[in-house]
Amino acid sequence: MHSVVRPNAWVALKLPSGSTKVLQIAPNTTISLGKYGNVSSNLIIGRPYHLTFELQDKLPDENFSRLRVVPASELHAEAIAEEEAAGCSTPAAGAADAVISATDGEEFSLFDDKGNVVARSNHEVIDENARQTLTQDEIEELKREGNNAGKDVIAKLLLSHTALDQKTSFSLAKYKLLKTKKYIRRFQVLPIDVANFAHWQLEERDANKIMDMRAEMIGLVGCWGNVHFGGDDVLLEDPKASTAQGEEACLPVNQDLLQGRWLVVDDTCGLLVAAMAERMGVLYEDEGKEAEGQTEEQNGAAVEQAATATEPQELQVRPAVPEPVGQDNADTEMADASTTPVKRQSDGKPKQQKPRPSDFAIPYSQTNSITVIHGASQPNLSLLNYWGFDITSPNHPPHPLLNHLLNLTWLQLLKPELDTSYSTPPLTATPETLASWKPSRRGNFHRKRRRYARIRHIVDSTRAGNFSGLVCASTMDPISILRHTLPLLAGGAPVAIYAPTVEALAAVSDCFSVPRRTAWVSGNVPEIEGLSHEELERWEGNERFPLNPTLLQGVSIQTSRARRWQVLPGRTHPLMTERGGADGYVFTAWRCKPAEGKVAAKGKFKRRKVETESEAATPA
Amino acid sequence: MASTTRTAVSPFLDPGPRTKANSLAILQLSRDNLQPVYLQSPTGVHDGYAEGAVVNTRYGSFPHSTMLNVPWGSQIRASKVDTGSRGRKRKRGSGDDACREATGASEKDNEDSAAAANEDSAAGVKQAVADSSGFIHILPPTPELWTTSLPHRTQVVYTPDYSYILHRIRARPGSVLIEAGAGSGSFTHASVRAVYNGYPSEGQRKGKVFSFEFHEQRYHKMKKELSDHGLGGLVHLTHRDVYNGGFLVDGKSPEAEAIFLDLPAPWEALPHLSRRRPQSSTSADEQTEWVSPLNPKKSAYICTFSPCIEQVTRTVSAMRRLGWVDIDMIEIANRKLHTSRERVGLNLNFDRGVNNSARDVEEALTRLADIEARFREHAAKPRDGDEDMDSGDEDAVPAGKSSGPTNGSDGPSAEETSSGVPPWMEGRLITRGEPEIKTHTSYLVFAILPWSGRGG
Ligand SMILES: C[S@@+](CC[C@H](N)C(=O)[O-])C[C@H]1O[C@@H](n2cnc3c(N)ncnc32)[C@H](O)[C@@H]1O
Repeated sequence: MHSVVRPNAWVALKLPSGSTKVLQIAPNTTISLGKYGNVSSNLIIGRPYHLTFELQDKLPDENFSRLRVVPASELHAEAIAEEEAAGCSTPAAGAADAVISATDGEEFSLFDDKGNVVARSNHEVIDENARQTLTQDEIEELKREGNNAGKDVIAKLLLSHTALDQKTSFSLAKYKLLKTKKYIRRFQVLPIDVANFAHWQLEERDANKIMDMRAEMIGLVGCWGNVHFGGDDVLLEDPKASTAQGEEACLPVNQDLLQGRWLVVDDTCGLLVAAMAERMGVLYEDEGKEAEGQTEEQNGAAVEQAATATEPQELQVRPAVPEPVGQDNADTEMADASTTPVKRQSDGKPKQQKPRPSDFAIPYSQTNSITVIHGASQPNLSLLNYWGFDITSPNHPPHPLLNHLLNLTWLQLLKPELDTSYSTPPLTATPETLASWKPSRRGNFHRKRRRYARIRHIVDSTRAGNFSGLVCASTMDPISILRHTLPLLAGGAPVAIYAPTVEALAAVSDCFSVPRRTAWVSGNVPEIEGLSHEELERWEGNERFPLNPTLLQGVSIQTSRARRWQVLPGRTHPLMTERGGADGYVFTAWRCKPAEGKVAAKGKFKRRKVETESEAATPA
Repeated sequence: MASTTRTAVSPFLDPGPRTKANSLAILQLSRDNLQPVYLQSPTGVHDGYAEGAVVNTRYGSFPHSTMLNVPWGSQIRASKVDTGSRGRKRKRGSGDDACREATGASEKDNEDSAAAANEDSAAGVKQAVADSSGFIHILPPTPELWTTSLPHRTQVVYTPDYSYILHRIRARPGSVLIEAGAGSGSFTHASVRAVYNGYPSEGQRKGKVFSFEFHEQRYHKMKKELSDHGLGGLVHLTHRDVYNGGFLVDGKSPEAEAIFLDLPAPWEALPHLSRRRPQSSTSADEQTEWVSPLNPKKSAYICTFSPCIEQVTRTVSAMRRLGWVDIDMIEIANRKLHTSRERVGLNLNFDRGVNNSARDVEEALTRLADIEARFREHAAKPRDGDEDMDSGDEDAVPAGKSSGPTNGSDGPSAEETSSGVPPWMEGRLITRGEPEIKTHTSYLVFAILPWSGRGG
């Protein structure tokens, strides 16, 4: 994945101003880089990621700007030149004092042909007069007349500000201008992976939407939740139930097959699910197969959309795609009609078709899956659109999440009998009756049956429990989440809960405090007397014991903060300012299986000594 | 090359529902006290114990037999062990024994008990008898648990750093990752979990870690550990000085897209991680074909991990000259927080951690008024001619009484306070940092090496 920019890929364009633009690269469109100019999308498609391009001036007979790949040596030229200058024993004359600063904090430096800094603008005193020497209009004018996209302007600007004798002794032919922020029309193309996307969403878009989840937190939650590839796909065999058969023909849940499944509560609009899917290898469309080289033919697909749109929800146009696997894709098709082996694609090419799965076929892998529990009737996972997955689309093209993402409501999990779609038995009809119906009615019939079978499978398999871990980033009270999810976790399964602020996590941790735990096992708790082991595992909680305090071990809260540094010759230090707001905290613990009956706490106590010894074994 | 017969999936990647013999498990003695152990089937008297192998801790003795084939996460009761001759042989503190026992078990594990595992010769093994003294929990191994319990041979990378690093260098299922040096294997375990997407069958490309270590003993220890952990087929460990030898394996490119260097001089290794022959190489090399260890069709992500700023300066300088872009230097500060109840008040019992001073102004007022009242009462009584009564000791006289009706033994029981609030819910819930924090681990330098689009 992410070898080259594919047609219609979502990418992040990093602009010279430092800001990022996230958009979909549709073929044959023009991408506006605002004041930096326009780029033709076809010049980016097929190129590797992370290259830095410079927009060239348009050639007289062309109506687009060609791109030049800026080599790394040029990107780093200033720093390298500075390093070399710093390496010299005697700094070049004038290098230090003939420095001026230009308008509002741009960074650029002028070097002579020996690599000495002649003028540098970013960290010296601003020369008020110099600032007035050129007007914005003049700059624009110069910019237009120059061949070399902005460089000449800056050089002139700089020179016009520099000490006079230098100006005369320093001809434009010899200068080497390096790295500017404002006038050089450079941009870099980055892939939309979880790290890049989350960074953009946090720093430039709407941090609220992702609950202020920083990269540090995404990493911690993923690791403490032990989220990883959960095994090769295991798909259940199609029961091939006839339309006359009802729920009795549905596939039963086979607990032994259920493995490597994670339970999730996500109020980050899907960022958490995306991060987990990335860790499990089910986020990217081309995951598992290296689909390079097959991009060309999709290029021609009719794609009409605003190239600058930034919300994927607004863009549902995609190139023609192959037959979706096992989704509600053909509501007006007869699922049992095996007489349509060939289907016309929208591109007009006939396509060989696999036999359509029956209504009760389960498309979900029994392994390596993510189960999302949500509070509204539909999950809000809208950010997954950036990875080509639209949870609301009934007609979805192939995507790994289709078979690995399961979702259900809290009602379906806890009181399935109150959920209509779970508790209403599926419709049945004999083939003859079915044949007598209009196609639309038939389509409806099949769709409802498919829906029933899937919901039933999701609910039953979730309630069967044995999850490998629980990961949360939710605005709901984590205590209530744990009350209902702890019974679903396998022994030893990790719990990792993210929260932007610490209070709610502290309250969870307090449910497992030593005094509370001690009281619980003391045998003097009237409310749990006589409860069976199973009843205790499903303890509903009261004020004194909101949770069964013996169900988690190793309860811990932590926070992490990345501090960013500038590394430049002689000027290495932490950044002066960074994003504030919520720091983010992670609660971690492991599900344990308390021994039945009364267990007394610690025995022998040679305490202090042993403790210090074992700690000494761990280097600080 | 560990392309032997396909062994079972590593317990790190799929521990299964229950503990197994000859497999790694992590014993949690207390919150931060973890101990790795390779569980052994009881095959007879072991090291003097009639119950077979036993782990001794200060929470009691735990025969392996009581920890085998139980659900992960189980709470295990201590057993009354029959030390037989052993009790006389050694009489050290149980704490030391626990440590020695665990390592002893891990070393013995592969040589003898692997063969004996299936025999299941329960004959001659004494059944363990539960002791009332204590318990531990048994957890499936994860990189996080391993990192805090592994035998240290070097400094290691801990979870706050590696979780961030793996995220930033895009170590994902299917990635090929280069790591040097392997050290104690902490980062190795975390990275193999990240890149794992199944065990490769012949000739298949799957997520894999190529790890390098030049210290011979560490190399051998790691090699054994990896195979004990079922990770041999997923980590390719090479004994080599990467400064001189580079990163090719059997002359071939690992085709890595993620790199982690935890070495004293990353800049010495960086030239090997180029796409084309680096300029600095000597002319003698020019004849031979130069092979890049990087994936020729993907951007390569790197992180170097260095404690000192001087190392960072040199690393970054080398990166700039070698074509790396998006160079980014980061330091991670991680803190653990402990929660507790802050109990302040005059009417609380004298538990540990209770601050018996006024909870608020009202409580202070009440007490002061009370003192005043007593004082006046006292003053109103006929005196025996002592005039300087009003100076000083106001508190001294009535203080003993003033701590009120709920002092000491006449206070509420530990189970319930007068207000009906159980003691564990009393006071304000607070969080505070751990007593000692790691303020610096290392500087993390990240960078990306794009590919040109022309196949290298
Ligand atoms: C700090 S340790 C790495 C710890 C490891 N990252 C972990 O998490 O356990 C550094 C290791 O690099 C090894 N090393 C140092 N220079 C090396 C070189 N030139 N080639 C290979 N290994 C090297 C050392 O022997 C040492 O084991």
